[in-house]
Amino acid sequence: MAALVASHLTRRFDARVAVDDVSFELAAGEIFALLGPNGAGKTTTLRMLAGLITPSSGSVRVDGRIGFLTEAPGLWDRLTVERNLLVYARLHGLGDPARAVDEALELFDIGNRKNDRAAQLSKGLKQRVALARTLLHRPDIVLLDEPTSGLDPESARDVRELILRLRHERRAVLISTHNLDEVQRVADRVAVLRARLVALDTPAALRARLFGSRLLITLQGEAARFADALKPAMKDVRANGRTLSVAVDDVESAAPNVVRTLVTAGADVVSVIPEEAPLEDVYLRLLGKEAP
Amino acid sequence: MKRIVALLGKELADLRGNPAVFMPAIITGVISIVMPFIIAIAVPYFSGERLADSSDFKIAVEMYRTQPATRGLDAEGAIQAMIFQQFLILLVLTPVAGAMSVAAYAVVGEKQARTLEPLLATPLTTFELLAAKVLGALVPGILLALVCFTLYVGGVVVLAHPGVYRTLFLPRALLTMFLLGPLASLAALQMAVCVSSRVNDARSAQQIGALIILPITLLLVGEFTANLQLTSALLLTMSAGLAMLNVALMLVGIRLFDRESILTRWK
Repeated sequence: MAALVASHLTRRFDARVAVDDVSFELAAGEIFALLGPNGAGKTTTLRMLAGLITPSSGSVRVDGRIGFLTEAPGLWDRLTVERNLLVYARLHGLGDPARAVDEALELFDIGNRKNDRAAQLSKGLKQRVALARTLLHRPDIVLLDEPTSGLDPESARDVRELILRLRHERRAVLISTHNLDEVQRVADRVAVLRARLVALDTPAALRARLFGSRLLITLQGEAARFADALKPAMKDVRANGRTLSVAVDDVESAAPNVVRTLVTAGADVVSVIPEEAPLEDVYLRLLGKEAP
Repeated sequence: MKRIVALLGKELADLRGNPAVFMPAIITGVISIVMPFIIAIAVPYFSGERLADSSDFKIAVEMYRTQPATRGLDAEGAIQAMIFQQFLILLVLTPVAGAMSVAAYAVVGEKQARTLEPLLATPLTTFELLAAKVLGALVPGILLALVCFTLYVGGVVVLAHPGVYRTLFLPRALLTMFLLGPLASLAALQMAVCVSSRVNDARSAQQIGALIILPITLLLVGEFTANLQLTSALLLTMSAGLAMLNVALMLVGIRLFDRESILTRWK
């Protein structure tokens, strides 16, 4: 059963339609990425899912508690890390707020900074504290708005690891992001949003749909002279230095035939791997813009 | 209630980290305390002219002599009692001034610091949010007013004629300080918080909330010009009016607090 179901969500601000007829489901243990350019309606969608704003039409069905990490960490600068978390533990009505905070401090490895004022923390640490705050009440559904925005690579990696941990804990995670690398690393499914849902699938399926399936074969020596050997059977063969890129219907079933044909033609095959178009190319094509 | 206490704790902790915000209230308190002492004690002392010898105060002496609590005072003491009682209402402005700058930032400040959205994502209701915000400004304001009142009474005990301090414990004085004052502060704060949840700029909230100072100043002028005598009955009536105004302001505040606009339209 889905942890969260968004059905035909639409939100208008006066004459402007920020989110238009968006539907999707989110399962427990799934990481779902919401991609889109600025102003595509990602934050508005998250706010509707979190119950902060009401949809103009459509509905949200939620099975469990929601935790919402807002775009800015939103910590009270003059309060200590511990105090920031303690206020939220109390606002959520937790039975033993102090213990919940201690556990969160330990889980997020920020116990040694608990007496520091939030203003003294680096951006990465602030985001870590904000994530701890989001998860204090053990939500089943976690909504993360740009969780690694503006972080240095190390801090971004730490946050990604925390997100992956959420999947292991069988929580449903929805990330709104611009960061395609992040999506590639963590997301099970991707929705591309530009007010409407432009596409929704796994990254691999989106690649296959837009660019087809391809095999990337590395040979010992110049590859161009072996391209003709494949052309009678394969409709799209591209040679580049020592590599051949071949369009196939299905990677697994085509690979043995391709290798056999090349070896028969006298090629020394070094490696054969499925060729994946960068997610950036997929994203840009979905938005009607080609990669340079 | 627990959520109000939780957020109130945050408000007070936040204030402890930024005590300078109470500087206007401290200045107001000091002026309110010092002014009557200058008029009732310092000026006669340095000029060598008793207040009782001034024709300006003759009516006041007669008026105060008729009251049981001041009957035992001599003429100079009666005039001092009148001055110290009348200036008491100025002390009421202390918590108002103190809390105003805090209340004006209540919602605008959270929005500007980008701390409002995570707060609204908790089960906190609008009433709880506004109540905590108002109390967060009111409680320290009233504590400050109590400190000022204690200093005021202490000054009167030490510097004024014997027995004058007793007039500061008459019902009308106590009603002014402990009922009218807090209720007026509460009304000012609620106005500021209401406005704070509708404007993008804390200064607007501060200015509109400060309007409560006008009626209090009118009371002071009315007393000074002998056009108005603040009796216990009048103070109770005004307090009842303020209590009703406070209930109405809370209801209006909840109605005006538009979460969606705050989140989506404020920049």
